[in-house]
Amino acid sequence: MSTRKPLFGLLGLIVVLVVVFGTLSPAFFDERLVLFPLLRDIAIYTVVGLAQMVVLSIGHMNLAVGRMAAFSAMFMGLSYDRLHLPLYAGLCIGLLAGAAIGAFTGWIIARTGVNSFVVTLAMDFALLGLIPVVYTALTANAAFTVKPDGMRELRQYSLGDVCLGNVCGSPAVPQMMLLAVAPMLALGYLYHGTRPGRELLLTGSNPLAAELSGIPTRRRVVTAHLLSGLLAGLAGFMLAVATGSFRATIGEEFLLPSFLGAILGGTAMAGGVVSVIGTFLGTSLTLVIRRGLELVGIGLEYLNVYLGVILLLALSADRFLQRRGVKS
Amino acid sequence: MLIAICVAGYLSLVVASGGAFASGNAVQTFFQFLPVPVLIGLAQMIALSVGQLNLAVGALGGFLACAMGVLMADLGVPAPAAIVIGLALGAAVGALTGALVVFTRINGFIVTLATMTILIGAQYRLVGTRTVSDYSPGLKEFGQASVLNIPLVFLLALGVAALVAMFFRAAAPGRRMLASGSNPLAATLSGVSNDRSVILAHTLSGLVVAITAVVTVAVSPGVNRSIGGDWLLPSFAAPIIGGAVLTGGTAVVLGTVLAAFIVRLVDSARAEFSLQPSWVNFVVGAVVLGTVVLTRARETRRSGGSS
Repeated sequence: MSTRKPLFGLLGLIVVLVVVFGTLSPAFFDERLVLFPLLRDIAIYTVVGLAQMVVLSIGHMNLAVGRMAAFSAMFMGLSYDRLHLPLYAGLCIGLLAGAAIGAFTGWIIARTGVNSFVVTLAMDFALLGLIPVVYTALTANAAFTVKPDGMRELRQYSLGDVCLGNVCGSPAVPQMMLLAVAPMLALGYLYHGTRPGRELLLTGSNPLAAELSGIPTRRRVVTAHLLSGLLAGLAGFMLAVATGSFRATIGEEFLLPSFLGAILGGTAMAGGVVSVIGTFLGTSLTLVIRRGLELVGIGLEYLNVYLGVILLLALSADRFLQRRGVKS
Repeated sequence: MLIAICVAGYLSLVVASGGAFASGNAVQTFFQFLPVPVLIGLAQMIALSVGQLNLAVGALGGFLACAMGVLMADLGVPAPAAIVIGLALGAAVGALTGALVVFTRINGFIVTLATMTILIGAQYRLVGTRTVSDYSPGLKEFGQASVLNIPLVFLLALGVAALVAMFFRAAAPGRRMLASGSNPLAATLSGVSNDRSVILAHTLSGLVVAITAVVTVAVSPGVNRSIGGDWLLPSFAAPIIGGAVLTGGTAVVLGTVLAAFIVRLVDSARAEFSLQPSWVNFVVGAVVLGTVVLTRARETRRSGGSS
């Protein structure tokens, strides 16, 4: 397992950037207007990154990560709108739907041996077509606007609302962060401390050797995709809570961040190497850059350009350092 | 088999529409919007031939279309010059992408993901929320012109397809690209530079995207920031249905063209029966999945059941 130096590099880079942006624009440290939404976004996109990380761990990709989130969110919206379920019961139904679509995708891949890129791409197509059809059939304006009890609180409450006696948490940290911390802990335990987790990594680093040493590789492929669908569903829920409605467009923007967070954090595209903390830090880095550029006054039109350039530079620098490290 | 599907699909559409689909006008509309899926499929196929992916197909096409539109409408550049600049720009961006992949050794998937972000930003920067439409009437005439109800732009796309086919069949660089794609180690040992193949593949891919952008500018009433947004998935669908292998080493020009034809058929059928646009995506997704699974099943049977 790689808990290598890139993590310190990432952390250092984030600290430097926060200081730079903070100096350029003191508003960066505004708890309610900047830090709270920033941390909420970091929580959401960390889960998105984790959804990609679990399939990268076996050397696969999930191009349908955003659409799986939308699929899952559709079931949540349905269960609130039609069945009037409470917040967390609907969440469970949605997560089940996400896990099911993920497992189905994994099953197709394991069963046919077709490249995961193609299968998830086709799945993305299919869901992209299916979801709007359902929404237009069941809702008036293509969104479930029903707000179950507790949704508003989950969106707005921070650790500042949690008190032990006189000591309260920071009002800058949203409670939604807990929804990201829980899967991080669970995945950390899965990969470090359990047999299935080690088997996932072995399947990723060398499928043939894994198969020959008696690891049920096909089942692990299904496991990884199931987890990916589940996490995508959770991210969809978090985004829906943050934006206030369950819509067909949820997850449209997930694809790029899902790869960036995981890859910047040191997860290998070829499989076999994952880093849960790295995914969190990689996601934080991209969002700090994005938010900082916005505050410093870079217009929306330039934002994507700068973001792309900075990320290419970061990746090249990382690659360069690694290669030097190998040589010496 | 693909040809049979094309013919059967087209005939059933003619029958289902009560013959209206066989009229000259309908045929012309059908072929008018066929070049774009064909060309983006070819652009992706060229990248796939060396085992690379090009996620920036749509972003580059949209950026180039907008760039050419702005050059002609705002800066008064004559149409031929704007087209030449567009083509050169496309090839240059492709070459740069290839160079980045080769020199940084970052996965091409990630590099094109990043260039995609940059290009989408650049496209938005160029046109913002407006639609650029008052450019060269000559170019628009070319977009509408046709011989015997077959639009010129479609003939152009076929010409590009023929050139690409010849390139892979007869030209030495094309053969070298296929060698690099199918077995990089063997290619290196027989004196082929894989790096050069990758750069060449991205350059050609960028060039074909630029041609697509020219066609788009010619055919559409105006260009805005939504152009290219829905190209990515069809660009993969055409070569994959057509039989290209993701790991490289194959060039299936005819398959890509026919598959693009099928995708276009699905789209026309949708318009004919006034269904929601999203059904197209659903059907195409199902077709892609069905094709790969069927191909795989046939291969497995042929190789004696071992997967």
